[in-house]
Amino acid sequence: MSNEKTTKQETQVSKDGIDANVLFSEFKEHSVADFFKKNRQMLGLYGKQRTLTTIIHELVTNSLDACEEAGILPEIEVKISEIGEEYYEISVMDNGPGIPENKIGSALGKLLAGTKFHRLVQTRGQQGIGVSGIILFSQITTGKPTKVISGTSKERAVSLEITIDSKTNSPKMTNKVYLEKKFRGTGIKAKFKEIQYKKGQGSVDEYLRRTAIANPHATIVFQDPFQEVTKYERIVKTLPKIPKQVKPHPRGVTVDELLSLARYTSARKISSYLMLTFDRFGQTAVDSIAKMIHFDINKDPRKITWEEAEEIVSAIKKTKFIAPNTNNLVPIGENFIEKSLQTIVEPEFCFVYTRKPSVYKGGYAFQVEVAVAFGGNAGRLVSVSSPKAKNRKDSLDDQEDTKEVRVSEIIRYANKSPLLFDAGGCAITKTVQSIDWKRYGIHNFESAPVTVFVNLISVHIPYTSAGKSAIADEEEILVETKLALMDVSRRLGRYIIDKKKEAEKLEKRKVFAKYAPEIVQALSRITGADATKLQKNLDKMVLEKLKMEDLEDQKQKAKDDKIEEEIEEEEDLVEE
Amino acid sequence: MANQKPKKQELEKHEVEGAKEIGKRVYEIAENIVHQIEHEHTPTFSTKVRGLSNVYFDQEKGFIQLGDKTVTRPFLNLGAARKFMQTVLVTEKCNEYLKHSKTASIREIYYELKHTVAKTNENTFDGQEESNDVIVDIEHSVSTIREKLGLQADPKGSLYGDITLIDRKHNNDEFSCKNLGRGGWSIMSRIEPDEIEIKEVNADFVLVVETSAMYGRLIEENYPKKHNAILIGTSGQAARGARRLVHRLRYEFNLPIVVFTDGDPYGWYIYSVIKSGSMALAAHSKFLAVPDAKYVGMTLTDVEEYGLQAVTEKMKDGDVKRAKELMSYDWFKSPAWQKELKLAIDKKIRIEQQALANKSLDFVAKKYLPEKIDNEIFL
Repeated sequence: MSNEKTTKQETQVSKDGIDANVLFSEFKEHSVADFFKKNRQMLGLYGKQRTLTTIIHELVTNSLDACEEAGILPEIEVKISEIGEEYYEISVMDNGPGIPENKIGSALGKLLAGTKFHRLVQTRGQQGIGVSGIILFSQITTGKPTKVISGTSKERAVSLEITIDSKTNSPKMTNKVYLEKKFRGTGIKAKFKEIQYKKGQGSVDEYLRRTAIANPHATIVFQDPFQEVTKYERIVKTLPKIPKQVKPHPRGVTVDELLSLARYTSARKISSYLMLTFDRFGQTAVDSIAKMIHFDINKDPRKITWEEAEEIVSAIKKTKFIAPNTNNLVPIGENFIEKSLQTIVEPEFCFVYTRKPSVYKGGYAFQVEVAVAFGGNAGRLVSVSSPKAKNRKDSLDDQEDTKEVRVSEIIRYANKSPLLFDAGGCAITKTVQSIDWKRYGIHNFESAPVTVFVNLISVHIPYTSAGKSAIADEEEILVETKLALMDVSRRLGRYIIDKKKEAEKLEKRKVFAKYAPEIVQALSRITGADATKLQKNLDKMVLEKLKMEDLEDQKQKAKDDKIEEEIEEEEDLVEE
Repeated sequence: MANQKPKKQELEKHEVEGAKEIGKRVYEIAENIVHQIEHEHTPTFSTKVRGLSNVYFDQEKGFIQLGDKTVTRPFLNLGAARKFMQTVLVTEKCNEYLKHSKTASIREIYYELKHTVAKTNENTFDGQEESNDVIVDIEHSVSTIREKLGLQADPKGSLYGDITLIDRKHNNDEFSCKNLGRGGWSIMSRIEPDEIEIKEVNADFVLVVETSAMYGRLIEENYPKKHNAILIGTSGQAARGARRLVHRLRYEFNLPIVVFTDGDPYGWYIYSVIKSGSMALAAHSKFLAVPDAKYVGMTLTDVEEYGLQAVTEKMKDGDVKRAKELMSYDWFKSPAWQKELKLAIDKKIRIEQQALANKSLDFVAKKYLPEKIDNEIFL
């Protein structure tokens, strides 16, 4: 969670009784920089390439969220310049609402990690360290301040430099200048060391490509260190709905959370605290819990001890609750995903499926969206050297002996945010690999020109680890993902088979057409028969033959479709 | 060895039918297809099925025969279209050769017909195997041999001995194969009486030899003259011409046929083809096969008999497999052959004809062959 968001969001937070500044007062005594260094792993700031991608992720996510919350179609410009060895300057500029001048300090210059645990809303930035974290990282690695420009629709745009006092976790702003030019949005420019720009998997390029796919309403421009510009134009002009914050469902609550939330509640009794704070917590549940605990349920919630909290949590586990509300999830939508894939991936065809929302662990709503894009430019481009190149070491022009082929790629998202790392350990990858692709006309999945898209949406994404780039094996999520994938691959399979048949038909026509003149000429030379007439008859017969086969194919297809429907019905039953 | 000379056998009708009759049949292939197209029936071409599913061993006659199964090849079938086109092209060429009394080698017809199919980058024929295959189809379709279609295979094999031939297609040259020098006469692919007339033969038997080296050795040792033999060298598997010649000498001049090959599955199969015909030419066995041909050697018994243990070679896995196949053939079912083959498989050894040189160069001509043939020690 990042506190650089607009005022609106801050009020939301305080309404829930969580004052971030109070929460983080304990950090004040420690060096925030130390905290950072110790927890780089957890923050995704390890590995030179990964660190760079994480920085871009934080800044871009922040921009997208700000724009969406303000109802603005995002336009984001990302620029990376190399200024030395493993030394880069990064700037991200958006057309968002900007930050009011008097809020810049608190929005960007205070480190605020950890509050996300109490805020249940489907956000991209769930795994975030926030822009303030990025500013601090720049400061730690280069000692330089971060440049910020911000302009709102009401105020004059301002440019300034910001540093964070890591002892007091407070911002220091210098060189403030008002801009002459009219500007709305936020721009952040900072220098970093200990990072490296590389192309390929896990790169910024790939991160932005995937971001563009999941955010067809955004325009994203990227200039890489070689001054090459990639532009992803806006594909749709509709902003996604803003996901609503929801109360936590009691099923998922931990002792620590119960205590933290209790500290800031306005309720005077535990019973009312539980009902106010949690989703689906009614009088019946309170009564049931009251019977199981060994202290008064009407006690002041601020005075709960750890042991008492443990008792409540274990009582909650034994109590039945209605499944959480699933209406607050905002999928990208089948249409938009399809348009995105068509425009950015440019496959020959693609199939998309957004499942209905579901619940895992009894307490967390989630929803799965999947797509398969096949053929055309789908898949990942890799260079393979032909065996010739290996043998001919003396060859001057190696280029000639390598060729580019498309292989399969799985693009994973958690709440529309691309997951680029730890693919192997991710439930999505495992599910995709568990599909029997052969059944759907793809004989070797690894080397097929296919892009598989999976977006998991939830108010609480179950990550495997603090690195937050892989999704844990939650039974319900695995099942939903698999069902969705089976649906799209079934459609894919049918398409591939139809296409094969179509190609065969064309091939047939071609084959007969090319041999017919040879035959007709020879026959005419032997017997003196009229070549034109023979050719005409032969052409006619070829057409008739193909027509007849078409009819048979259609009959067969009708039959196949019926069988498919039956299979689907069966699967639906299994699901239920 | 038996020495009476019987009357010339009457030639089968099939063999003597003229070019005119064959020409008519070839023309009919084209005419049929034209008729089909004109009446909007799918153009088809029919021929006999070849290969294991349609050949059988005729116990009574003692050779391999072709069954009656036919295969129909429709043009409007993706898998058959190309071959159909090739069949029509070869038919046209054969029709032309017959019309103008020309002959061409099967390689020549391949090159005559090979071109790029219009508006494609595809060749009418990709390699001679493709045209060869179609030629066999047409042979079987019109029930004749390729030589009657105006086609011939490369000549292979040599003939030596007191036999006088007349080449009716070349100035009516008359010559005796005993004074053509050490190489003898090069056997043509077509040995029909209207081309090669056998005027006179003075011999007691015909000796068919697998390797040209052994053929040369026996001539150098003056074996044909000393033992009143006609010598035929096949240079490996016997070609049609050599087989047809062997067949004619057996049935027109009633000469016993003796086969002499390496003592290995490959050599034994050469004997098998001369004796019982081959699967590829099953339709023509009755003009090619000589079921009472005798096998003189080499055998594994010879190894013991003549003390040749030191000059045997190891059989390869492929040889062993081949030997096992031979064991399963109906015409190798005699106890003597079964025993021989089993010995070969068990010992995994083979013996070449030339191994006899281990004794001395003239051993084969002076001792081995006379001893075995005179005493009729055949397998």
